[in-house]
Amino acid sequence: MSILTLNNVHKHFGETPIICGVNLNIEEGERHAIIGPNGAGKSTLFHLISGKYPVTEGTISLRGQAIQNLPPYEIARRGLARSFQVTNIFPRLSVFENIRCGLLWKMGYGYSFWNLLGRQHDLNTAAHGILDQIGLSQRADYPAGELAYAQQRALELGIAIASGAEVIMLDEPVAGMSHSEAENAVALIRRVTEGKTLIMVEHDMSIVFGIADRISVLVYGELIACDTPSNIRSSEKVQEAYLGTVTADE
Amino acid sequence: MKKILTKSLVWIGYLAVLLLLPQFFDSILAVSLFNQMAIAIVFALSYNMLLGQGGMLSFGHAVYFGLGGFLAVHALLLIEFETVYFSIVYIPLLAGLVGLLAALFIGSFSTRKAGTVFAMISLGIGELLAASSLIFVSFFGGEAGVSGDRTYGPPLFGVEFFQNIEIYYLAAAWMFVATLFMYLFTQTPAGRMANAVRDNPERAEFIGYSARRVRYISFCASGFFAGIAGGLYALNYEFVTEETLNAVTSGRVLLMAYIGGLGYFIGPILGAVILTLMNSLLSNYTDLWMLYLGILFLLTVLFLPKGFAGFIMMHRVAWLQRRIRKLVLPYLATAIPAMVFMATCVLMLELSHLEDESISVLNMELSASSSSTWLGLLLIASTSMLVTRRTLPALREAWESANHVADEPESKS
Repeated sequence: MSILTLNNVHKHFGETPIICGVNLNIEEGERHAIIGPNGAGKSTLFHLISGKYPVTEGTISLRGQAIQNLPPYEIARRGLARSFQVTNIFPRLSVFENIRCGLLWKMGYGYSFWNLLGRQHDLNTAAHGILDQIGLSQRADYPAGELAYAQQRALELGIAIASGAEVIMLDEPVAGMSHSEAENAVALIRRVTEGKTLIMVEHDMSIVFGIADRISVLVYGELIACDTPSNIRSSEKVQEAYLGTVTADE
Repeated sequence: MKKILTKSLVWIGYLAVLLLLPQFFDSILAVSLFNQMAIAIVFALSYNMLLGQGGMLSFGHAVYFGLGGFLAVHALLLIEFETVYFSIVYIPLLAGLVGLLAALFIGSFSTRKAGTVFAMISLGIGELLAASSLIFVSFFGGEAGVSGDRTYGPPLFGVEFFQNIEIYYLAAAWMFVATLFMYLFTQTPAGRMANAVRDNPERAEFIGYSARRVRYISFCASGFFAGIAGGLYALNYEFVTEETLNAVTSGRVLLMAYIGGLGYFIGPILGAVILTLMNSLLSNYTDLWMLYLGILFLLTVLFLPKGFAGFIMMHRVAWLQRRIRKLVLPYLATAIPAMVFMATCVLMLELSHLEDESISVLNMELSASSSSTWLGLLLIASTSMLVTRRTLPALREAWESANHVADEPESKS
């Protein structure tokens, strides 16, 4: 069953078309990667799905429900969480508080000003559980802004999974990391998205081919291919448009 | 468990201080000073819910304070003319509800965005209300203001609120309750999300929270507590004018919160105490006290961006390392010449604006018209300035060594 469906999605900024009629079906439990050259519109597509930008035309549905043009918080409440290309955390809150904030809505606290956080045993246990998963338990009381870069990325992933979302979208999760950091990050991503649907944008092809079940190739706002990694690798159309130089290097 | 115990002890200590203060300082001046402090503390804490915790810079927070005050003084009048019949101790709650009501309305559009948009709207609303208060004379009393009498209400346990000390206990009780609830608010999901929205409104939206709604809740709570402070003001002075809701009052509460320290719950309390002291005591000695306040604010912004509370908290690492004693001498070495420098500057300022043109200091008559006075003062000022600068490297070194912790990146702050 497809969990996320994009139907003829368009996005224009003024006169400039950025996304031109994207159709995409993502199956439940799938690991899907979106690749494409710089400026192809990958991040814009992420912003459209997660509600940061309104779509110009077309529909996006999550589990059959239309979500296009809903505000981000409504989409998040329906079970779609994302990370960002640039680290996007709550820098002055502690690492623990960052995760706890990510948990609040799912655990039903809403905008409560009558529950004391310190007394919410289940909430605090869950937050510590996620810190263990992402390997930041030792740093629980640090201000998040003082963590090392790779740790901040891990924290961001932690905030995304804390929401309990079934669809996790990661925008270049290992960009700017050293090789060993990236390896750890990939292992972490695999572990915490177990049983969930993962959609990621990534430039590092070795990571993309290693992790994805299917790959979509976006070029100038159009999806030119959507297939298994091996088919994408051998597709001439993709080679021409994008992969050529990369596969030659390998 | 230990944490809860220490926290409870802090609150019990706070209550004890409030109860015992008038036993030690019972002069009329002291008690009236305490009353002003209580009002300022509630007001400054409510302001910090916006700026420190919610990231909303408001230039019009006096609106909620002033409306609470005006409602309270009208409530006193209603009691006086026997339209209603209840004890005046409940008036701050009513004033708080008016603040809440105003915030419910104004916040519904002003909290859409933080930053400049919010700041400008708050400024506009503040000016609008201050101007209206001079126009709608029947409620605001025009330039003369509205006065009431708090002693007409039914006595509570025989207390009729003739004396300032009775108002002190009333204000202290309200302050204690308000402080407690404002603190507890910071520990709730809504309070924590206010911090999250302050840090990163975009991210907050992607974890399921509308940043606008989160701001709105803080804004309303803040208006409520500002209203309580306004109610206490009306009970204390029995007289409310346009000044309580204009930009001067809004500016003063900003200064209190900022000088005290925005990042800490206790910051605005310190700021309120410091500014009330300056306001009441310093103004007895010099006409220039506003200038000194401005300089204090400037120095805080430049050198103590986290305020006095932040300055105190800076010493936490050294304290935990038991190295705080190593800082005493270097601090004194810098502070003494620095204070001589500041005192000389103050003298020059005072001399330059005094009318009788002479001032006596340490049994010396300093005349503003003699050039030797000025030369001497300039000499002292520049020397002390130089000495201060010479001591700074030693202080910095002592600071580094007192704060050096192996494997603790925290020490860099």
